[in-house]
Amino acid sequence: MGSYLIRRLARTLLVMLGISLVVFVFVRSIPGDPAVAMLGERATPEAAAALREQLGLNKPWFFNPANPLDAQYPKYMTALLSGDLGTGLKSNIPVLDDLKARFPATAELSVAALLVALLIGMPAGILAALRRNSIWDNLATTISLVGVSMPVFWLGLLLSYFFGVKLGILPPSGRLGTEFDIAPITGFNVLDALLRGQPAAAWDAVRHLILPAIALGSIPLAIVARITRSAMLDVLNQDYVRTARAKGLADRTVTMKHALRNALLPVVTVIGLQAGALLGGAVLTETIFSWPGLGSWVYDAISQRDYPIIQGGVIFAALVVSVVNLLVDLSYASLDPRIQYS
Amino acid sequence: MKKVLLTALLATLSAASAATLVFGGNGEPVSLESGNITDGISILVQRQIYDTLVDFEDGTTDLKPGLATKWTANANNTAWTFTLRKGVRFHDGTPMNADAVVFNLSRWWDKSHPYGFRDQGRTFEIVGELLGGYKGDATAVIKNIVKVNDTTVRVDLNKPSSVLPEVLAAGYFGIASPTAIKKEGAKYGTPASKPVGTGPFIFQSWRTGDRVTLLPNKLYWGEKAKVDQLVIRSIKDASQRLNELKAGTIDFANDLTPDSLRSIQADKNLVAVKRPSFNVGFVSMNNRNQYLKNQAVRQAISMAINKKEIANAFWNGLAVSNASFLPPVLAWANSPKVPADYKFDPAAAKKMLADAGYPNGFSIDLWYMPVSRPYFPTPKPIAEAIAADLSVIGIKVNLKTEDWAKYLQDRNKEPGFDMYMIGWTGDYGDPDNFYGAYYGANASDDINWNPANVETLLQQGRAANTQAAKAKVYQQLHELTYNAAYRIPMVHSNPLAAARSYVKGWTPSPLGSEPFNTISVGSKK
Repeated sequence: MGSYLIRRLARTLLVMLGISLVVFVFVRSIPGDPAVAMLGERATPEAAAALREQLGLNKPWFFNPANPLDAQYPKYMTALLSGDLGTGLKSNIPVLDDLKARFPATAELSVAALLVALLIGMPAGILAALRRNSIWDNLATTISLVGVSMPVFWLGLLLSYFFGVKLGILPPSGRLGTEFDIAPITGFNVLDALLRGQPAAAWDAVRHLILPAIALGSIPLAIVARITRSAMLDVLNQDYVRTARAKGLADRTVTMKHALRNALLPVVTVIGLQAGALLGGAVLTETIFSWPGLGSWVYDAISQRDYPIIQGGVIFAALVVSVVNLLVDLSYASLDPRIQYS
Repeated sequence: MKKVLLTALLATLSAASAATLVFGGNGEPVSLESGNITDGISILVQRQIYDTLVDFEDGTTDLKPGLATKWTANANNTAWTFTLRKGVRFHDGTPMNADAVVFNLSRWWDKSHPYGFRDQGRTFEIVGELLGGYKGDATAVIKNIVKVNDTTVRVDLNKPSSVLPEVLAAGYFGIASPTAIKKEGAKYGTPASKPVGTGPFIFQSWRTGDRVTLLPNKLYWGEKAKVDQLVIRSIKDASQRLNELKAGTIDFANDLTPDSLRSIQADKNLVAVKRPSFNVGFVSMNNRNQYLKNQAVRQAISMAINKKEIANAFWNGLAVSNASFLPPVLAWANSPKVPADYKFDPAAAKKMLADAGYPNGFSIDLWYMPVSRPYFPTPKPIAEAIAADLSVIGIKVNLKTEDWAKYLQDRNKEPGFDMYMIGWTGDYGDPDNFYGAYYGANASDDINWNPANVETLLQQGRAANTQAAKAKVYQQLHELTYNAAYRIPMVHSNPLAAARSYVKGWTPSPLGSEPFNTISVGSKK
């Protein structure tokens, strides 16, 4: 287990180094100049050239014959290895500061979206499998299909308008009502509000989470429901389930203890894969719901060609996905005793 | 459980009882450091925290005293003297005086200023653009910045300029506390710092990506704020800003789309607010194109586009279309010899095209912006309407677009775009800010037309002392550019804003943002 973990962490480090190089080259290869994007309608060739020079973007990418270290990649890597991801080209805000401030918002939303997916998707999948070809099965399948096929931004706008404006029972967007302010501890608003003894703020934060979590969780929900259904169907036809029933065990015990635990393996795998999808989906959800997370920040940076932010955001997202998948891999052993790490 | 819920309810009620004014911004500020940023929402927040030397009268581009009570030029406009308001203090208690003003102006203009933080990414590019360059540059307008005494600052110029007070009134140039800048260092203006000005609101907090919270400055020298707290929220999506307005979770907002006007008017809780127009959306034509280098062809194209109909269709009455590059508030600089409106006459345009040697028309590219701006909120359908109009006179238009950063870059690259849509929103109330930006020596090279007399006229305009003298110069420029027909003004739009009906005292400025100290929320629940 220990050596497996070390190997996996070493591999993750290599992946990170590879990604840092790929993203460095990629952002500079896409057409569009950061200096021009910063100047906007004011951009003239002369003004852009002067700004490019000020920002150090006119230096060679990898090697400067006059001064080998005075090139963009060596400088970037030297800073990166000391934990400095640079600063936003226009904002001058350290990328790490932005990541620290924004990641908890995205993480809180992603966790809420996963909860929506699991708390609704798994029971729906189990019910569909147990009542195969019944109205429940058809309903679960239809909801899955709708969840997968409805664009997140469209669902988000519908939810916001219907519940936020028409019914007025939930806030249309935002992360916290303007009447509250929560000094961050973990960065998770709900948790921080409770830790700070602000129950009203915690409740308000929960209310703000509901609609974006449903929008972001719609696709994982559909996938979890489908995977749970098919995994349960597979397991329910296994001999050991039939044996359990023959022993006279109650339906509930057979389903929850014998069938579900074995059906969980593919579901957990899907959850790991969804970590990346959630970060991707966060771009649209966060924009629609004015959610102050990573997604909309990186998206804006891409349109502005803000290289340090794009690089920092992509490396960080890759790190998160790698860690989540590592945790998923490690969880297999607790679900299936036959799995051993060596 | 019941007790927790009750506590929560009581806390909510008591928190909500303070008079909080909530603005829905179209994003979050990039930075709160004055002189170094140009995006609209950064400037809007800065307008609450900082004062400028010279200010604008409410709802207009006319000048009024700000931190300077008086400003006078020497006989040939090569030195401006600003007399500062006495007794004004920054929010940190330090005095606003000539030292503070010289410190601010110098760090923007002098590339070697120790507190300019250029080695840590500061660029202050707006100073280079509006003031011709930085200390020591051959093109720079400013020669020297001098403290005359504790309440007087003189700015010496390399060349005559009558617009320096207007430029310094632009929202970019708020005067910040030197003590705060020295204390915060390079993090000044970021969410980790506390920006300090003399304005009507004091910075309280900036929650990244979410909101900036400000408190009223009880010692403000001007009209004091009428609310207990001002919150500026970041709501990027325009339809979501409208949703929030309708839900009552924000009190007022800018930059709504013209198609939401009817929905706002139908809601009894909302009031539609038309910001005075101070922009121009136009189509530029490139002299490098074999057809467009012909003046008659350009004029025929101009005549074939039904601009009024396009303005009606896509702006819902929130725009005017005329033959001027200048927005209506600067109409005093228009020439009486130029018709007020372009003549829409497809038959005459077709004949003109035939006379120019193209009876069967030709094929041409029209590039439209991939982003929405108040001067072109829906670029693609507008481009389609232009293409449809031009097809009537035999011109086949190929519609093209690309990523915005690349679009801005490619328009200036050889050979550039044939025809493309772009626009401009003004920084200050002088025609120079419009003509200079697109026809001046340092302007975009997208049309390949730089006649010497245009630059001469622009320099005469900048040097002219009175509005009447300026009008004479700019009228000539109007005639010249109208006849040349390289840039066809399509619209001057009124950016749409809206407020809850209890919001009183809001007078939107043509310049895009204004201090909110005049606003009250009397009957807000």
